[in-house]
Amino acid sequence: MSFCNLLMKTGVNGGLCGTQTTALLLLNLSTRQGHTLRGKPPGVARTLEQRLRDENVSDPEVVARVNIGFPQLKPSRSAQLKTRLEHLKAQRASKELEQLARSNKLLIDLDKVQETYVQTTGQHDLRLLADHYGIFEHLFGSAYFVPRVPLSIRYELNADTFSPVYNGNVLKPAEVAKAPLVIFDGKLDPITSKSAQGDSYWTLLATNPDAHYTNPGAECLHWFIANIPNGKVGEGEILADYLPPFPPRGVGYQRMVFVLYKQQSRLDFSAHKLAATDYNNLEKRTFSTLDFYRQHQDELTPAGLAFYQTNWDESLTQFYHNVLQLKEPVYEYDYPKPYLADQKFFPLRQPFNLYMDKHRDSKQLNKEYLQRKLSQTHPFEGPEQPLRFPNAHPIRDVPSWLKTEIRKRRLGTGRVQDY
Amino acid sequence: MSRSARPLTSARVLHKIKELTTPATDGNFVTNRNPRNLERLRIAYKPTGYHLEKPGRSYWHTLEINTSGRYVSADVKHFENGTILSASTSEWAIKQQLYKTKDTSAFVNLGRVLAQRCLQAGITEMTCNVNAVAGSKLEKLLQAVQENGVSFQEPTRLPNTHPWDAYRHEKPWEVSEQTATVATKTSEVK
Repeated sequence: MSFCNLLMKTGVNGGLCGTQTTALLLLNLSTRQGHTLRGKPPGVARTLEQRLRDENVSDPEVVARVNIGFPQLKPSRSAQLKTRLEHLKAQRASKELEQLARSNKLLIDLDKVQETYVQTTGQHDLRLLADHYGIFEHLFGSAYFVPRVPLSIRYELNADTFSPVYNGNVLKPAEVAKAPLVIFDGKLDPITSKSAQGDSYWTLLATNPDAHYTNPGAECLHWFIANIPNGKVGEGEILADYLPPFPPRGVGYQRMVFVLYKQQSRLDFSAHKLAATDYNNLEKRTFSTLDFYRQHQDELTPAGLAFYQTNWDESLTQFYHNVLQLKEPVYEYDYPKPYLADQKFFPLRQPFNLYMDKHRDSKQLNKEYLQRKLSQTHPFEGPEQPLRFPNAHPIRDVPSWLKTEIRKRRLGTGRVQDY
Repeated sequence: MSRSARPLTSARVLHKIKELTTPATDGNFVTNRNPRNLERLRIAYKPTGYHLEKPGRSYWHTLEINTSGRYVSADVKHFENGTILSASTSEWAIKQQLYKTKDTSAFVNLGRVLAQRCLQAGITEMTCNVNAVAGSKLEKLLQAVQENGVSFQEPTRLPNTHPWDAYRHEKPWEVSEQTATVATKTSEVK
């Protein structure tokens, strides 16, 4: 009976199969024998990049950024080209240079390159780099500026050694303990990049957008000099004395940002004046560059930028105790906790002790491990000496799970390392 | 054991993940907003790329070199932010001191300038997927970059270890220059 059915079925299928293949050939479709297609076919299905782009869509008008810096009045391109081409022609005619280049001995002067670079394309590159470090986002929100005035900031270590501040280099707190030497061309007109007539006044602000302990959106004010006449920083009005950066242990690298503003005229900043007694008062040093700029945007225009990164070193312990008069804080990165499936009443194929350790109250677990550790620690002689050959000592008359536990304890692997 | 009776829906899984990843609000924490901090500490996300892709896209910073008919340019790219730093022999600052803009000495000097700019920008490690023929101008450029203080070995990302794992990796924020120098000195003594 069943055999008959089978025959009939195959017969029917054979008949159908023939029609199916012809139909497939006509439609030029391929059959997938091994597996069914999951999801949409290739070509129709979007890639991960496309899907992410569609999900994180943003309105260009809302996120449009505002340039709050100086515009640049470019010099005549033809005049510039004329001098440049003349220079290049002279270079190509120089026998000496040719000899150096052809013998691979030509080493160009990097200081001269840097000097020309900061005056030409370096300004735009610095803007890109500042974006990479999130400087504008955290200082000015959706505004940005192109730093037109090159800033040269150096921390003096000895008589002839300096730690310069560029754009993102790492300096240790021991190097930056004293106020740096700031040099810029105060006679420079940021728009035309030429020397201007008359007096100009500048404001220099050093802030740290990562240093605020309580409000992650605020900054810490480290240095504030206003009314700097013609670039002479020493003659400026110091509103907040230089406080060195104090990145706490474990927090990692903080940014220290120097922003130079050009003033329209001499200004009165007495509202921002930090009293000498408040030198180490971190509450009073809370600062927001965005609020400050909003308040004075008619008189101030950002013109220069430099920043460095700094992280904890041993010199900071004394600084915290003596200057800030605080207990030195120690932090750790807070890794996300591991995801655990819901606890089962009867978990199959799970070692019971490890399974319970995952789901138990962590305080209880810590207590057990600490108690065991302290019970093996002599009050005067300290902890027991570790075994020289931990695997050579037989473990007898215990169940296998305990054997594994003891072996792990002896070798110092697993949870023992946390205590 | 009432929890075991609850069905495991995707909404519940998402709720659990959200609970695990929301930061604590007890005030015992600080936030470091520096977007490069976690990369320096080797904790930040680093794309793994696709399995069969070559060259891979597993990097935070990478070096890319483009040659045109007349000039060479070297760009440092970040996996999210794109080009963040560049140097080219078409720049007036470099060009004005060169004899030719695409000869061997131009390549070498471009490498020196790029390395200087990388160090000024605090980028000391990056990957480099450029295949240079031995003895070529390109190889000399890469050598010049490395000789001037940039490493082409980017550190791997340290994954989050679970409490039940056998081994823990070092805590990257506890590794300072002082401990590193002490460690090398003791290894030298041994």
